[in-house]
Amino acid sequence: MPSAVSARGSPPEVTDVPGSAKGERLDEIFAGLDVAPLGILIWSSDRRLLYANDRFRRSCDLPVEIGMRFEAFIATMAHSGECVLPTEADMWERGQSAAFGSESSEDYLFATGVVLNVTQAPTASGGMTMSFADVTAVKSNERALQFAKETAEATDEAKSRFLRAANHDLRQPLASLKILIYNCIREEDPEHRSDMLHAMGIATSIMEDLLGALLQIGQLDAGRVQPRITSFQLSQLFERLDVQFRHQAREKGLRLVFVPPRATISTDRALLERILSNFVANAVRFTGIGGIVVGCRREANGLRIEVADTGRGIRPEDRERVFDEFFRAEEQRAQKSGLGLGLNIVKRLADLLELPVRLRSEVGRGSIFSVTVPLGNIWHSEANEVEISETVAGEFVGTPVILVEDDDILRQTMTQLLQRWGIDVHAAADEAEAMRLIESGVSPRLIVADYNLKTRMGIDVVDRLRKAIGAEIPAMIVTADAEPRVIESIRNAGLPVLVKPVSPPRLRVLMHNLLFEPSLVNVAGPTAAENRRAFRDQE
Amino acid sequence: MTKSSEPVPIGSMVPLTGPSAADGAEFRKGMILAAEELNARGGLLGRPVQPIFVDTCRQTAEEVVGAARWLIEKHKVHAIVNGYNIGPQNSEYEPIADAGIIYVHANTLLQHHDTVMSDPDRYFGCFMADPADYWYGPGFIKFISWLRDSGQWTPQSNRIAIISGSKPYSIVIANAMANAAADFGWQVAFGPKIVQTPTHHWREVLDEVRSTNPAVLANTHFYAVDLAHFQRQFMANPMDCIVYLQYGAMHRTFNDIAQEASVGVIVSSVIGLLRDEMGKRFEARYNARFGEGSTATIGCQSYSNMHHYAVAAAMAGGSGPPGDFEQNRKVAFALKGMIYRSVHGTIRYHPDWQAVVPYPVVTHDPSLGMPHIFYQIQDFRKSLSMIAPEPYNTERFIYPPWMSGRAAAAKPMTTAHNPRGLIGL
Repeated sequence: MPSAVSARGSPPEVTDVPGSAKGERLDEIFAGLDVAPLGILIWSSDRRLLYANDRFRRSCDLPVEIGMRFEAFIATMAHSGECVLPTEADMWERGQSAAFGSESSEDYLFATGVVLNVTQAPTASGGMTMSFADVTAVKSNERALQFAKETAEATDEAKSRFLRAANHDLRQPLASLKILIYNCIREEDPEHRSDMLHAMGIATSIMEDLLGALLQIGQLDAGRVQPRITSFQLSQLFERLDVQFRHQAREKGLRLVFVPPRATISTDRALLERILSNFVANAVRFTGIGGIVVGCRREANGLRIEVADTGRGIRPEDRERVFDEFFRAEEQRAQKSGLGLGLNIVKRLADLLELPVRLRSEVGRGSIFSVTVPLGNIWHSEANEVEISETVAGEFVGTPVILVEDDDILRQTMTQLLQRWGIDVHAAADEAEAMRLIESGVSPRLIVADYNLKTRMGIDVVDRLRKAIGAEIPAMIVTADAEPRVIESIRNAGLPVLVKPVSPPRLRVLMHNLLFEPSLVNVAGPTAAENRRAFRDQE
Repeated sequence: MTKSSEPVPIGSMVPLTGPSAADGAEFRKGMILAAEELNARGGLLGRPVQPIFVDTCRQTAEEVVGAARWLIEKHKVHAIVNGYNIGPQNSEYEPIADAGIIYVHANTLLQHHDTVMSDPDRYFGCFMADPADYWYGPGFIKFISWLRDSGQWTPQSNRIAIISGSKPYSIVIANAMANAAADFGWQVAFGPKIVQTPTHHWREVLDEVRSTNPAVLANTHFYAVDLAHFQRQFMANPMDCIVYLQYGAMHRTFNDIAQEASVGVIVSSVIGLLRDEMGKRFEARYNARFGEGSTATIGCQSYSNMHHYAVAAAMAGGSGPPGDFEQNRKVAFALKGMIYRSVHGTIRYHPDWQAVVPYPVVTHDPSLGMPHIFYQIQDFRKSLSMIAPEPYNTERFIYPPWMSGRAAAAKPMTTAHNPRGLIGL
């Protein structure tokens, strides 16, 4: 490519390339330099540009021209705005000009985001070669590695501190246990022995709590806890906390009051429960006299849930530190109460859920811990039951029914069917068992009896049960005997009848009518004929 | 599939006489309009759809089961598509399951879930195209809590009184309301009290309610005439409470009897015609076909069910007569898999229940559930005001006239961006 050569000006003399004419060899050499992975500039001893390869022209947005002066090139680079210079432009320019022909290597960040390593080296003739290598990837990896290293060191430091503290806290109950076991072996007085066993129980439960808390923190640190944000009623959560802490508070003689909230909030239900249960547990633990009130206040950006106690309060200098892991106030340390992890878990959970946690306290008066949660959309609020069924709100829900059936399998399947409809089934195999149910206080609203009960007739059993209860409880007979004579006798006794196998919808209709619309029960009506038809169909 | 131009017989069990005759007449019209529209476009894969009606009278188990048998045995119907029949308690599922045909209805019964889930293979063809009655309970509790929490209404206490009629539907709704109340800060101070219905006599139970001084009074009985008497008797000595009357108060008959006393009453439906462009166009078509006195909001139920069924049968490659379980299973599969936006919201069958889920109480996505619409009677001479849920509502709640001394709730600003004055957007 002669034109390309001429464009580069007079190439330096090349000798001793075996097997080819001088011009061809030169062309080959220049073609090779053009695709070299570096941009190359060669300067003569009088500071003029002798050569620039294609790579330089393509990768650098700096204009070059064969024969241009080094000073002009440096001035363009200094004022182009194409790259970030380590010093002020004029100063840099002077420095570079003075450094012509010396060895140096420096990285420059270019406007395109590329980092180029610029290396210069003197040639034997007094000139200089500059190379421009793309080191963007290397630099980015270096930075990432540096960041990872710093993070790992910080985490490692935190872990070591954490493990030292955990180790310390685990060793204490362990040491007590060792002593207690040793003493217990030799102790002969049963009372002392029992005391020591009790103390051993406490020591193991402390260890258990600590390990549980460590596991929670471990999971949080490992990013294994994924919040699931939903809208729900805060009242559901208060109810659960009330059940959880009511007894503990009562044992300590404390009033524990939950002011019923009616707000819909939007956060992770299980994680918020953990935050609040830590607040309430602490309040119960550190309050000697008085009580604890859990309630809410509307705020501009949501709802503040507060746990206020009449405990000893927290000193101002400790108010930040209470959220640190294994922090315990001096009095607490002396009493060996608590692990010092609860509030740290609260902090980690609150960070995860992005909920602000606050503490107000007055020494000797009490503390108020609070967490602020966003309000949710009431229409999206999740009800308690995700799956609905007739056991939740069916028409028969909670209705007590006595079922008398001597066939074990039938009694079982019938019980299952009725329970699926929400009925409170009391099943008996015979009259005696049914009577025992009545005696034990079962007060049925309906009796379902088999017709042929080995020793007794269902009609008689219904009669006996009604007498024992002292009321004309609605009742029905089921029978496998479809003989008109049998059906007739049941109807004559004033009882509605269904023929086995009983069709669930028919049983449902009859039960409904007996319980809620007695005027629709037609004992002598078409029911028996319908039953015969149903029976035939199923045969 | 054999090509044929023979009509496809589709059964429809409608109460053309008896207490629900007014609804039955609309269900019939809905079927007729759907069949005419389908046939004008070539029918079901080239076969015209032929609806066959049977009167279910008082909708007892005997009557409805007899109707299903007659349609299957005499007319060999490929499907039974209708509105609702309250009373058979799923008895009619037996002959339908035996025949292996498709059954699409709007019975609004929780029992449907139980029956289908007890034997999904047997009841593969039974579909309930509206949400179960149960959902009225939590839906209503959320509605009153929304009125309260959004500041549209300030209740004088957290007490609720619940009165129920003696039909399973009313009892289930009353139980579901009572069950959901506490979670939303309400206390059931009275009931659920089951009153023998039908009845026009409510004074005694109203006196009992009055002694508990509730902020909310709900009556889950659903006969329009009975409810009109209830409201008139309530107005003779009103309490400072919201009055909710179940479904029947949507009827013209209710307003005709209750007149001025009806103003302020809240009523809801888990299935009702929407007032968007689709709904309005349907109403215009319906009235043009059957006259201005027609009630498109009832007729839309069977209309949509019929259209949905026809699309599903076409997707399945055709419908099947009684006994063709294989073909009808394909139709059922298509019905279950297809989300269908009807003129009254989305029909999307829950995979296990084979029933539609309500929006917003179950699904939070209006494109996946049928809206549980809350109305208020604001002018007894005009149509009901649709006050919830968003994005379907067109009006907003006003204080009922009997809440004396109460200031009307401030109206939200209507702007170009929010022409309907919706709040909480």
